Amino acid sequence: MDSLQAEGITLSRESGPDELKGEVLTVNFGPHHPSTHGVLRLVVELDGELVVGVKPHIGYLHTGIEKQMEALRYQQAVVVTDRHDYLSPLFNNHAYALAVEKLMGVEVPPRAQALRIIMSELCRISSHLVWLGTSALELGAMSLLMYCFRDRDRVMDLNEEISGFRMHTSYIRPGGVMADATPRFWDLLARFLNDMPGNIDEFENLLTANPIWRARTIGVGRLSAEDALALGATGPMLRGSGVSWDLRRDLPYSGYEKYDFEVPISDQGDCYGRYLIRVAEMRQSLRIIGQAASSIPDGPCNIDDRKMLPPPREELETSMEAVIHHFKLFTEGYSPPPGDVYAAVESPRGESGCYLVSDGTHKPRRAKFRAASFVNLQALEKMALGGMVADLIAIIGTADTVLGDVDR
Amino acid sequence: MGVEALQDMLGDSIITTTLGKLVSWGRANSVWPAQFGLACCAMEMITMAGPRYDVGRFGSEAMRASPRQSDLMIVSGRVSQKMAPVLRQIYDQMPEPKWVISMGACASTGGVFNNYALVQGVDKIVPVDVYVPGCPPRPEDLINGLMILQERIKAQGLRSQL
Amino acid sequence: MKTPRKAVAKGGERDERWIQVAPADLPTVLADLKQQGFASWCFLTCVDHLNTPLLLQPPERFELVYQLRNITSRELIRVRAYIAESEPSAPSVHSVYAPAAWDEREVFDLFGITFSSHPDLRRILLPPDWVGHPLRRDYPVGGEPVEFSDDHQSWQTAPAEA
Repeated sequence: MDSLQAEGITLSRESGPDELKGEVLTVNFGPHHPSTHGVLRLVVELDGELVVGVKPHIGYLHTGIEKQMEALRYQQAVVVTDRHDYLSPLFNNHAYALAVEKLMGVEVPPRAQALRIIMSELCRISSHLVWLGTSALELGAMSLLMYCFRDRDRVMDLNEEISGFRMHTSYIRPGGVMADATPRFWDLLARFLNDMPGNIDEFENLLTANPIWRARTIGVGRLSAEDALALGATGPMLRGSGVSWDLRRDLPYSGYEKYDFEVPISDQGDCYGRYLIRVAEMRQSLRIIGQAASSIPDGPCNIDDRKMLPPPREELETSMEAVIHHFKLFTEGYSPPPGDVYAAVESPRGESGCYLVSDGTHKPRRAKFRAASFVNLQALEKMALGGMVADLIAIIGTADTVLGDVDR
Repeated sequence: MGVEALQDMLGDSIITTTLGKLVSWGRANSVWPAQFGLACCAMEMITMAGPRYDVGRFGSEAMRASPRQSDLMIVSGRVSQKMAPVLRQIYDQMPEPKWVISMGACASTGGVFNNYALVQGVDKIVPVDVYVPGCPPRPEDLINGLMILQERIKAQGLRSQL
Repeated sequence: MKTPRKAVAKGGERDERWIQVAPADLPTVLADLKQQGFASWCFLTCVDHLNTPLLLQPPERFELVYQLRNITSRELIRVRAYIAESEPSAPSVHSVYAPAAWDEREVFDLFGITFSSHPDLRRILLPPDWVGHPLRRDYPVGGEPVEFSDDHQSWQTAPAEA
């Protein structure tokens, strides 16, 4: 201070007419950005480091899936449903399959239901692993990306064993599932169920008590229960604010009522609470898979309705009706009776549903996908205002939006 | 005299090559991709950078966030009409020499989605060097594409890109 | 659930309850349902019944469909409103349900139905200078013509037999 005074410089803390005034800076968080988990564009207004405005601009991944489905037959459209929420393709398939089965008035056999649940919960684990790996990467914990993708590769191995594809299996189809499980699948699944709890412990050891992780996520992105409900949030966004709502437990579908599992809730309402919920959901998914795998009934894994599913190929050599059914199904496809249905499943992001309108022809009149991320993204503004720009990264991560789901 | 004598003195610890081969060897083994994950193929691209498939062996682990620091743009995913100008801008921001791998069916030809919303093939906007088909391609497929690109880079030498 | 007074029709096929209202009554009916506990927003969408082969023709071309959920009583309700082609507009319900803001923008973008008193009605999924409303039935699917597909008559590689 003395040296400054000797040079004739005085430091004054009083505000005067020359006080620096701030200006709100508009920054483009462009569609090409490493931390937006996809092509999301945010126009952020900043007062220094404080976020005073966030406007999401979406549509950079609009694929015209709903229009495409109007041009495809019901059984062809399954492959397109995989690809809108690309981190949880089986849930989209499931919602679509439930909707078509409701329209056709059929119900799949119990073995198919158990297989659907096993593959869906595996998909939930893989989706949460991607979420954890990428969110941790955004906040600096880079090694978690490697650990999570190591375990995700094991889920991909299981997918590959049962269906031949790693991702986008289209495993759950209207009428049942794609194929039955092989003995090697059960073997790999048993080893996965054995190893995975230890791996989840590893992730928790790295993050849950980590002071940096806690400092960056506790208190960040608060969403109260009233706000979450008013903004239509579902899934961990809603359960993270203390509202106990899970479609698997409250409106069970596909046999979920047979299994015993908990639905993790957190009343903290911040990023840390939602992190704890998703990690706990992974453990509960392992529990469900274990119960389903040990109690899976024998029997067919597809419905026995030749008007909906093709006959086995061996029959085509001997039966004329089989040939006619095969021909009709692969040229024209089946036509559900006219009407509209809504079927929803609990995807890793929230309520993912399919609203299907049939006009009696072999192609849907309207297939609307209720995208969990589309509605959850509207809560971003509420969570981010008043926080720092670095917290915005944590909040985008915790919202776990998949832009394919948002833009369809 | 001269080179033979030098070679006798130093033995096998010198190699002779052309500048082109040296430069292209360096370029090929350190291709840095720009992070351009658009959709589902991005998941397989990240898996390629993950522990099992480990693209770090090929020198491509450093996925730069800024296009100005990268050599390769792996267009992984479907390019919608709204995203097309952004893609072109990112491509223009990359310094020469630059290459493009079109990963997946949607980037190569429009894929399953033959409709109004997507650009039917990213080669309508940027010049593509390697097309990797698949929906999504396995990480090994993408590494194969990268290896093909490395052969092309080594063959390019010091010639400027067309 | 108490059916609102303004409901013009109702039904419950396949255990899915629905009511039909006139478009002008939408905000009051939805506010009434929210009061009754249907506070959780599922979705808003539009169905285009152009050239439908149904025996029972819908009264108008466009049908707005709202789906709401009651978390405490675990019920679902669907609200329909038919909009005429000549005057495709409806009142906005974003003041009752906040998430309707984006759904209404999407319906405007893809079907062309304007919502009065919406705070920010502009295109959300397509580029702002897009012409047309793609999900209408008279808008083509688009994309590139593909040989051996359903519409291959409109595009052939070989000339017709001489």
